[in-house]
Amino acid sequence: MYKILEKREIAMRNTWYKVHAPHVARKVQPGQFVIVRAFKNGERIPLTPVMWDREEGWIVLIVFTRGKTTARMAAELREGDGILNIAGPLGNPVEMKKFGKILAIGAYTGIVEVYPIAKAWQELGNDVTTLHVTFEPMVVLKDEMERAVGRHILETVPIDMTKSFPENMKNVTKRLTEKARELLEKEEWDLVFMVGPSGDQRAVFEVVKEFGVPMKADLHPIMVDGTGMCGACRVTVGGEVKFACIDGPEFDAYKVDWDVLISRSGYYTDMEMMAMQEYMKALQGGGQ
Amino acid sequence: MAVKRRIIKERVPTPERPPEERVKSFVEVNLGYTFELAVKEAERCLQCPYDYAPCIKGCPVHIDIPGFISKLVEYRDDPDRAVKEALNVIWACNSLPATTGRVCPQEDQCEMNCVMGRVGDKVNIGKLERFVADYAREKGIDEELLFEMVPRIEKKGQKVAIIGAGPAGLTAAGELAKLGYDVTIYEALHEPGGVLMYGIPEFRLPKSIVESEIDKLRKLGVKILTDHVVGKTVTMEELMKEYDAVFIASGAGTPRLVDAPGINLNGIYTANEFLTRVNLMKAYLFPEYDTPVKVGKKVIVIGAGNTAMDAARSARRFGVEVTIAYRRGPEDVSARVEEVEHAKEEGIKFVYFVNPVEFIGDGNGRIKAVKFEKMKPLDERDGRGKRKIVGTGEYVTLEADTVIIAIGKHPNRLIVNTPGLKVERGKIVVDENLMTSIPGVFAGGDAIRGEATVILAMGDGRLAAKAIHEYLTKKRESKNA
Ligand SMILES: Cc1cc2nc3c(=O)[nH]c(=O)nc-3n(C[C@H](O)[C@H](O)[C@H](O)COP(=O)(O)OP(=O)(O)OC[C@H]3O[C@@H](n4cnc5c(N)ncnc54)[C@H](O)[C@@H]3O)c2cc1C
Ligand SMILES: Cc1cc2nc3c(=O)[nH]c(=O)nc-3n(C[C@H](O)[C@H](O)[C@H](O)COP(=O)(O)OP(=O)(O)OC[C@H]3O[C@@H](n4cnc5c(N)ncnc54)[C@H](O)[C@@H]3O)c2cc1C
Ligand code: SF4
Ligand code: FES
Repeated sequence: MYKILEKREIAMRNTWYKVHAPHVARKVQPGQFVIVRAFKNGERIPLTPVMWDREEGWIVLIVFTRGKTTARMAAELREGDGILNIAGPLGNPVEMKKFGKILAIGAYTGIVEVYPIAKAWQELGNDVTTLHVTFEPMVVLKDEMERAVGRHILETVPIDMTKSFPENMKNVTKRLTEKARELLEKEEWDLVFMVGPSGDQRAVFEVVKEFGVPMKADLHPIMVDGTGMCGACRVTVGGEVKFACIDGPEFDAYKVDWDVLISRSGYYTDMEMMAMQEYMKALQGGGQ
Repeated sequence: MAVKRRIIKERVPTPERPPEERVKSFVEVNLGYTFELAVKEAERCLQCPYDYAPCIKGCPVHIDIPGFISKLVEYRDDPDRAVKEALNVIWACNSLPATTGRVCPQEDQCEMNCVMGRVGDKVNIGKLERFVADYAREKGIDEELLFEMVPRIEKKGQKVAIIGAGPAGLTAAGELAKLGYDVTIYEALHEPGGVLMYGIPEFRLPKSIVESEIDKLRKLGVKILTDHVVGKTVTMEELMKEYDAVFIASGAGTPRLVDAPGINLNGIYTANEFLTRVNLMKAYLFPEYDTPVKVGKKVIVIGAGNTAMDAARSARRFGVEVTIAYRRGPEDVSARVEEVEHAKEEGIKFVYFVNPVEFIGDGNGRIKAVKFEKMKPLDERDGRGKRKIVGTGEYVTLEADTVIIAIGKHPNRLIVNTPGLKVERGKIVVDENLMTSIPGVFAGGDAIRGEATVILAMGDGRLAAKAIHEYLTKKRESKNA
């Protein structure tokens, strides 16, 4: 059991959990993740330590409410409760070196995963610009980002209530690629780095490719164990099958087979929707 | 005991749930003996003398088989006493009898050698072992034995770290704790048990049994740290500094994939992913349990070992058509005989001499069919005694909307990458005492063998415990001297 020291909603659908997990806090490096299992009948999901304190033994997770697991976490976990399991840190830290001028992009809650990486790169003497594109009510870590890096650019998109969520998401993708293009046209970059939905990562990559700037992407395939045991997270990179949890999660965007990644990420969507609907019904019916 | 013994040729059968009923659930298939039936079966044993008894020689950990069987007959009027005495005999060599009684390939080990086989059926040693363990657990007799054992333990004041809570690690932990060492197991997953928890399905090995075996270790004072991945959460170097000895029992957890186009199509699972979703995460109870799994209408399982059988029978329980596709012939199937029979009874089809060469998608990223090359056997045999096979250049395509790959596994890479640790072809190299190239670091189980069996892993756990005990005794003595 890992005790929740603090929990609050920091933006629409974004919850902040400060959790006691000394085994993770003492070792975690930017770029790594943990696997969380919050409930007895729950799923194992990957999340990213955003901040940590090695002495006090806590980590901060910022979680976007997406499907049933993350919705349950938001609805059912209280301060003082425990999270059943937090395994990690897992995956490889990002490369810590002087790249020069870096554009680090986060779409939606992806920016929280960019935060520790961008901060560390900046501290190492890189000139880091972060770009965060999201819906207006979902802005997170604005002040922290501004303090951590050379320049933080925030682009928000209003939610159009007359349109469906996927329609709205298209507007974010559009703004993301436009803004990336603008920055690439105006300035010289040594590296682009990005976290966000695979579809958006690919859309940005298509733009970056035109400019020939090196790009790294933090990939988010579906994971189960996170230790290289199950093979669920396999991705094709440079024609080879790699396991994102132990070979990644960060890869050269030029080598990733984006079609396979995007297709595999959506495999359970129908079942996830069903689980979510049943959960919502149960919630409205007065709990399970 | 009675000198003139009537030889009973036939085995006393154990009741099993009928196939029609069991393909619908994950409840255990074999129901095991009652005390009366167990005694009847025990009476069939000829009580070969200990030095001769071929069953003991066939057992990788040399359980005194006639010894434990005789207790059941000797104390037949006092079932509790009979079981307690029998369990005591078994525990001298094997601390997880409820598990091994269920999953050991007895037909290739103890039972293969049983003298009764010359006149009739071999003694059903596996089911007798299982009976003793189950009865003892249900009646709390194992707790009683343990309770008598714990106060006699003399603390050694030395610490041992064990990596992995599978059968090898659990066994070593138990033995070392009994010897008075301070033992901590580091386990990557959220539940200890290794393959026993995430691999072998509930209908073959109920999880509550594994849990109760692990509970006993905790009562012996063993600490288990779940969610701790060695190589990430703690490094080998840190463990070596903090502990007096380390035992690596991390198993062979990395799945091997078929090197063929289309391997990343949706609907192609590794057996590990499929079984982990189904067993450990209970995906068969989705959406009550949150982890999904997709089982199509036509499932092809590639491979024919225990893993393949477990994957196939688990898939079958979703009410779908399942075919096992194997590149060799029926005589080379490596799964336990009982499981193969159960699989056939449950309506699983077997196709032999086919090797996958391409996974064909439906155009939307999902698997639709598998293209196989037909193989043919040669007269030559390979190193493992299996017949060599060659491709024929002819192909066959079978439809499938779910494919499960069960063609073997490699040891976990996170540990194998430790500097100074000698590794050959992915397996950790050890000497006859199971010590690795790093002094004070031992290894056993699937991590050194590749894929083996539960009992061999446990045998390694015992041997390692003994070797670690000797190593640490010397260390203690040289410190005191
Ligand atoms: C390395 C890594 C780090 C991550 N860090 C964060 C983070 O810091 N904050 C955050 O909000 N999210 C993070 N995610 C994403 C997070 O894991 C998913 O949002 C979460 O699993 C969704 O679970 P759900 O049950 O609520 O949604 P579901 O309804 O189950 O799924 C919705 C979608 O989430 C994705 N998803 C579902 N299950 C998994 C899984 N087991 N592994 C990976 N993706 C899955 C799929 O694309 C799926 O279609 C990270 C993912 C990865 C791989
Ligand atoms: C589906 C299936 C069915 C089987 N059926 C049978 C059968 O019927 N009979 C039989 O005799 N054998 C069977 N086997 C084989 C048998 O289960 C194995 O040989 C045995 O479990 C090996 O034991 P082990 O302790 O070496 O490793 P494992 O059982 O693999 O345990 C290793 C443990 O180490 C943990 N670990 C790995 N890496 C790390 C790390 N870096 N840090 C911390 N922990 C780590 C893993 O999570 C795991 O819990 C089967 C195997 C499978 C997969
Ligand atoms: S070989 Fe068979 S008959 Fe002889 S002791 Fe062993 S189990 Fe009994
Ligand atoms: S998540 Fe299982 S291998 Fe990566």
